Amino acid sequence: MTAIKIEHLVKQYKNGVRALNDLNIQVEKGEIFSLLGPNGAGKSSLINILTTYYSPTSGTVTILDKDLSKESSWVRTQIACVAQHVSIDEHLSLMENMMFQSRLYKVNNDTARKRIDTLIDSFGLSQYLKYPVASYSGGVKRRLDIAMNMVSYPKILFLDEPTVGMDISSRKAMWEIMRKIRDDFETTIFLTTHYLEEADQLSDTICIMKEGHELIQGKPSDLRQYTRQNILRIGFSNIEKIKKYAKMLKGVQMLLPLNIRGNSIFTDCTEDRKTFEDVNRWLLEKQIPFEAIEMVQPSLEDVFLKLTGTEMR
Amino acid sequence: MDTINILWRNMKWRFQNPISIILTIIQPLIWLVLYSAIAGQSMKNMAQGNYTAFILAGIMVLVILSCCSSGGYLNFIMKTKGSFYRIVIAPVKRSSIVLGQILEAVFLSFIEISIMLILSIFLSVHIASGFTGLLLMLPIIFLTAFFMSGISYTISLCLPNEAIYETIMNLIVLSIFFTSTALFPMDSISGGLKIAVTINPFTHVINCLRNLVLETTVDLQNVLFVSSLFICLCCGSFTLALWRLKKETIQ
Repeated sequence: MTAIKIEHLVKQYKNGVRALNDLNIQVEKGEIFSLLGPNGAGKSSLINILTTYYSPTSGTVTILDKDLSKESSWVRTQIACVAQHVSIDEHLSLMENMMFQSRLYKVNNDTARKRIDTLIDSFGLSQYLKYPVASYSGGVKRRLDIAMNMVSYPKILFLDEPTVGMDISSRKAMWEIMRKIRDDFETTIFLTTHYLEEADQLSDTICIMKEGHELIQGKPSDLRQYTRQNILRIGFSNIEKIKKYAKMLKGVQMLLPLNIRGNSIFTDCTEDRKTFEDVNRWLLEKQIPFEAIEMVQPSLEDVFLKLTGTEMR
Repeated sequence: MDTINILWRNMKWRFQNPISIILTIIQPLIWLVLYSAIAGQSMKNMAQGNYTAFILAGIMVLVILSCCSSGGYLNFIMKTKGSFYRIVIAPVKRSSIVLGQILEAVFLSFIEISIMLILSIFLSVHIASGFTGLLLMLPIIFLTAFFMSGISYTISLCLPNEAIYETIMNLIVLSIFFTSTALFPMDSISGGLKIAVTINPFTHVINCLRNLVLETTVDLQNVLFVSSLFICLCCGSFTLALWRLKKETIQ
């Protein structure tokens, strides 16, 4: 069953910027769908269209089998969106925020109260009930923001970079919440993120887009296989050494374009064993003080960088 | 229901931020207390010697203009905080969103005008037309605030940021205020300025309110004329605000 079907979607702003360019995406019901892309890829424009805020220039969007442009009022009753920035009202209490949101979605008071109790429990918010919302930490505000948007029990929940700026433990707690939303509430989650690890851990399907167009869509494991060739990793003790020797390595004909991450230089291998031996020999001959050399499987990050073409060349 | 929900939310914001109430009433208060005391010396022949009573109607309109400007400002706060987007993508009628916000400014206008009227009692002002006059003031204040709030709402959605909005609204409010009979009677104005003052719809509101403050007999025809005029203007400003909000979204 398809939750969202996007066909040949184009969004061109009045200033001429083409944010979406012939985009085609399909999201299945009940899955966590992650949309990855560099800044300016068109992720936010897409979310704004899917949540009925912007109208597309051309193309069709079908949400739960209804045409978005013709039945946007109905679509609004089926979706909710947690925007990039927390949108709770700090002048209202936690309960007032939840009740206000439930009234916006025409949830009657009795049902709303039951749902709110469930959501407060599920999202670990009960201990914050007596405190003013303005005093909450960023992570708690974000949890309340998501809980609030769940009060209508939406069929599809859009999350626009929900973990941006969070530390790793808060992010992991947020992943648990997202899994819970999918599993307990059977909600389809449409997520945009910058974090490869997040998409890899959470998603049933990942789509990578660049310059308003999808590059690839598939399961995380499928995307990792996308680059079948192995990758050669050369480890150094610090970034200064990498910068110094990367220039030399760039001149070596046997290596493909380089990509620096952490304290390592990564490069694709066309012929695994031969390249490994040749590079190893070359490094020893030139007395380059590397710390490690190994062949590694491509990570999702490698796929992302390869497809979006943002690697350091 | 949606309108009441949005109105309730906005009123909560207003009462949690009393500074926004103080800021909108402080300038009209200065006019009422200081200006009337100073200018009253040279305006003794007006309003049976009570210039404060004479300018009260104009100050009431100034309060409405300030409250309505502040109502439009709410859009910028809501956009910055993200609640504008959250409300607009919710299954809520666009007309309810506009109405909820317009009514907040109307409600605020009533609160501040009540404060102003109570204060004016201490400045020896009494409503000559009595309780009937007070009752007749209600629809006029409502319609004036509704019209101006619709205009402020539209302008706030047309402008990119609050700094420009404030500048534009100050320009509009001061232009309306000074090209009206708020401070001087119509017969002391002549030439092109008289034409400007006459075509300013707020002049008619001020004159109508002033009659209710100063005269013992009610000019019902004038009340009906002003009400009819402003019902038409309200329809126009509401339609404009609704059109501008719809332009922001898919429908």
